[in-house]
Amino acid sequence: MTDVSVSNIRNFSIIAHIDHGKSTLADRLLQVTGTVSDRNMKQQLLDNMDLERERGITIKLQAARMNYTAKDGQQYVLNLIDTPGHVDFSYEVSRSLAACEGALLVVDASQGVEAQTLANVYLALENDLEIIPVLNKIDLPGAEPDRVAGEIEEIIGLDCSDAIQASAKEGIGIDAILESIVRQVPPPQDTTEEPLRALIFDSYYDPYRGVIVYFRVMDGRLKTGDRVRFMASGKEYEIDELGVLSPHQIQVDELHAGEVGYLAAAIKAVADARVGDTITLAAAPAPVPFPGYTEAKPMVFCGLFPTDADQFEDLREALEKLSLNDAALRYEPETSSAMGFGFRCGFLGLLHMEIVQERLEREYTLDLITTAPSVIYQVTKIDGEVVYIDNPSLLPDPQHRERIEEPYVQVDMITPEEFVGSLMELSQSRRGVFKDMKYLTQGRTTLTYDLPLAEVVTDFFDQMKSRSRGYASMEYHLIGYRDNPLVKLDVLINGDKVDPLATIVHRDKAYYVGKALVEKLKELIPRHQFKIPIQASIGSRVVASEHIPALRKDVLAKCYGGDISRKKKLLQKQAKGKKRLKAIGTVDVPQEAFMAVLKLQ
Amino acid sequence: MTVLPLPASSDRPSIHPLGNEKKADLATSGPAAAAPTAAYLHIPFCRRRCFYCDFPISVVGDARWGDRSCTICAYVQQLCQEIAQTPAHSEAFPMTRPLETVFFGGGTPSLLSVGQLEQILAALRQQFGIAASAEVSMEMDPGTFDLAQVQGYAAAGITRVSLGAQAFQSELLAVCGRTHTADDIPQAVALLRQAGIENVSLDLISGLPGLTMAQWHESLERAIALNPTHLSIYDLTIEPGTVFGKRYTSGEAPLPSDDATTEMYRQAHQHLTTAGYDHYEISNYAKPGYACRHNRVYWENRPYYAMGMAAASYVQGQRFTRPSTREAYYAWLASGALIDCAPTPLMEQLLDTLMLGLRLREGLSVAALRNQFGDETVHRLVEGLHAYVRQGLVQIDSGDRLHLTVPDGFLLSNTVLAHLFHLFS
Repeated sequence: MTDVSVSNIRNFSIIAHIDHGKSTLADRLLQVTGTVSDRNMKQQLLDNMDLERERGITIKLQAARMNYTAKDGQQYVLNLIDTPGHVDFSYEVSRSLAACEGALLVVDASQGVEAQTLANVYLALENDLEIIPVLNKIDLPGAEPDRVAGEIEEIIGLDCSDAIQASAKEGIGIDAILESIVRQVPPPQDTTEEPLRALIFDSYYDPYRGVIVYFRVMDGRLKTGDRVRFMASGKEYEIDELGVLSPHQIQVDELHAGEVGYLAAAIKAVADARVGDTITLAAAPAPVPFPGYTEAKPMVFCGLFPTDADQFEDLREALEKLSLNDAALRYEPETSSAMGFGFRCGFLGLLHMEIVQERLEREYTLDLITTAPSVIYQVTKIDGEVVYIDNPSLLPDPQHRERIEEPYVQVDMITPEEFVGSLMELSQSRRGVFKDMKYLTQGRTTLTYDLPLAEVVTDFFDQMKSRSRGYASMEYHLIGYRDNPLVKLDVLINGDKVDPLATIVHRDKAYYVGKALVEKLKELIPRHQFKIPIQASIGSRVVASEHIPALRKDVLAKCYGGDISRKKKLLQKQAKGKKRLKAIGTVDVPQEAFMAVLKLQ
Repeated sequence: MTVLPLPASSDRPSIHPLGNEKKADLATSGPAAAAPTAAYLHIPFCRRRCFYCDFPISVVGDARWGDRSCTICAYVQQLCQEIAQTPAHSEAFPMTRPLETVFFGGGTPSLLSVGQLEQILAALRQQFGIAASAEVSMEMDPGTFDLAQVQGYAAAGITRVSLGAQAFQSELLAVCGRTHTADDIPQAVALLRQAGIENVSLDLISGLPGLTMAQWHESLERAIALNPTHLSIYDLTIEPGTVFGKRYTSGEAPLPSDDATTEMYRQAHQHLTTAGYDHYEISNYAKPGYACRHNRVYWENRPYYAMGMAAASYVQGQRFTRPSTREAYYAWLASGALIDCAPTPLMEQLLDTLMLGLRLREGLSVAALRNQFGDETVHRLVEGLHAYVRQGLVQIDSGDRLHLTVPDGFLLSNTVLAHLFHLFS
């Protein structure tokens, strides 16, 4: 690796809405600067996880160092710090932005500014980043660069007269982007002689080397063999390995202020080197850490139970391993009379929850039953004690509680004008409180609502997408707790209360939810050899009831010639269906039933 | 290929109603390794396609049957060629053993002329031999044959006929797209008896569109009145891609409800057992000694040859299904009739054994299972069935015979089997 002076370093990230072409642009930059040869190019190079490549989104961020000879003849080092593109990970986004001096704001020229982009631009502005607007997908027939530039100017107040028109896919405007980074993004301050402060913007667990920490050196310098201290956790380690990301790891001996790199120091868990923490030298520590560190708090909770009780220990091990790599994941053992042993897990949001579930099932081959997501309720008891309830079945009885408060979020939606009515109706039906409506450019509107988080973590996002035919986008952040008349709705299957199906709902919606829920369960639970009553109750009062008739016949009469393969296939299919069933008493309940409350009409 | 002279009529095997058929040797290497003594011949031609049928067949129409049809002629030639190419012995079973059972299935095998049938049987005798006591079955449809033809069949060696009666109401037969009427059924039985074929089985289908319980009773009673040796009772399955598949949804009118077809199954059990038939398999009933010996080969998971388009054989542990169109079948024959599939692994053999064996009222021998699959597997099996034993669907008699109960266990056999498949996969 070439040694580089601070004045020739440029650190930048890319802000873009999902699908607006961030990954393609990053790939193109790596290719054009020769960082990655064409031969080694695979799509979405920075997105390492299979899940990311499949979904086309970035979950874990990555970084890449590029060497670039600019038109002025000088050699520059450009460090791209990639950011995750989802609301669940806005803290990580804020930390990677804090490690940069500039950002490319990539907006799809055929679409426009979206809610998530907006939220991230504000984060970038808070961090004093130089923002370079890029109008991407200029090659599309529907591209309207002038309209979208106008929109950026109007909404964000960013001068777009020099906005770069580009198509990452077609390789248009890439040189202009590289030149703008060199010219417009300020170089880092040369604080090489100050005590070391390096900001962690990502870390992951490697089974051979321990945690690999990605950081940006803000002040000072560090070398292989240095003993470093993580200022928030207080832990100290000796650096075994130091390097840069190109984007693959390349070892170096020393890094100085302005540079971006990684280190390995036999760190056992990412919780010891959390995103946002500051690294300093144990021998000559900096007086204060870099500001802005917080520990990510889970907002969404669910129960994870193995379908097969024998897999409980495997699940525990898998969660332990995942949490080595995921400081935001919380888990604690949960026992349910219906489900047996499992874990109550906390996540940053729904996507985070889905990712963890999928990884547990794919990478650890576990069969899991996931219960419907819940939020954390703040319950004040009669005796004045305040308890936090993340599991509806544990809600204290009405006679023991004074009040229940639930988390609220402010939801900002950006939508084409024609869907405003439908989205307002949706927000209203989810107990939303209207806050604001602003007309942006050319028929685009922002809508702001305060909504109970519990209503948002159900299918709000899917509903918003379907009601706006995919055009609306949203962003939300926590604004505090509010007192509401909430009740616990229990579900009884075959006379037994099934804890994981219990849900906390607003009193006014309890009857409706109870009725819809038992109907849905009737659809989802397969017939058994006996009749199964399904009831919803509040306390001892049954508010809705249905029953699943008994299965009387399950037989294949026809066995054609000696060809047993068809019958066997049918049985194998039927057997496969049993895989996802959880035995609750004598009733086999499929996974979907535990999510039924999210699928009510 | 060689066409052998016709066998003399004295060679014609007589009916041998056997009570408990002699089991094939349960060699330590499993029953699949023994030499097959059963052969299935697929005759994939029908005058028209019944509305519920999704079997691999060719519709030849009314005018094109008998030996004038070159389509059928050509097929019989190819079929005989396959027989001649099928090894009758191998390293695994050095001794050729004569066939104990032969089954002509279809399609409508009664579209074969007597000459064509003789040709096929001659090829079998030449290649494997046919035991004097063999059961030689043929599926026939009422209204597709006359006396001369069945006399010819009987002379050629047919000992048992399975007659596709399906229903005793002409209007229901018409709804199914069948070519015969209710009156054709007793007539067909009479013709068979006149030709000396006493071992006659009738097929009935329950759950047909619009079938009432009264009509079902009528069908059962009229079938019993004809005094067949054997009855097969099938519950209509709606297959996608069939005329019925397009017209009807299972369990919805005009199809009888699931509760109604369950009742039809129970009524059949009631009527037929009262009339002296043994409910010896999920969909089969027989007078004592008249259980279908050929089908028992399948249910006991013993090996069998199979020849013809789409036919499935089980020889030396290999389950192989032939190509399901005539063109592909001929091409496969021309390229050497290669059976290139892996032998059934032990775990699959277990699933096959369970799936097939539990169709029989007598079920499976725990000792034999232990012998073939080991103590641990049998332990898991018995443990896995515990809940069903408690529910009265499964019984283990005198510590050895593991079987479904009749009719409760039979009715929920898939529930039990799917559980076992889940357990062992």
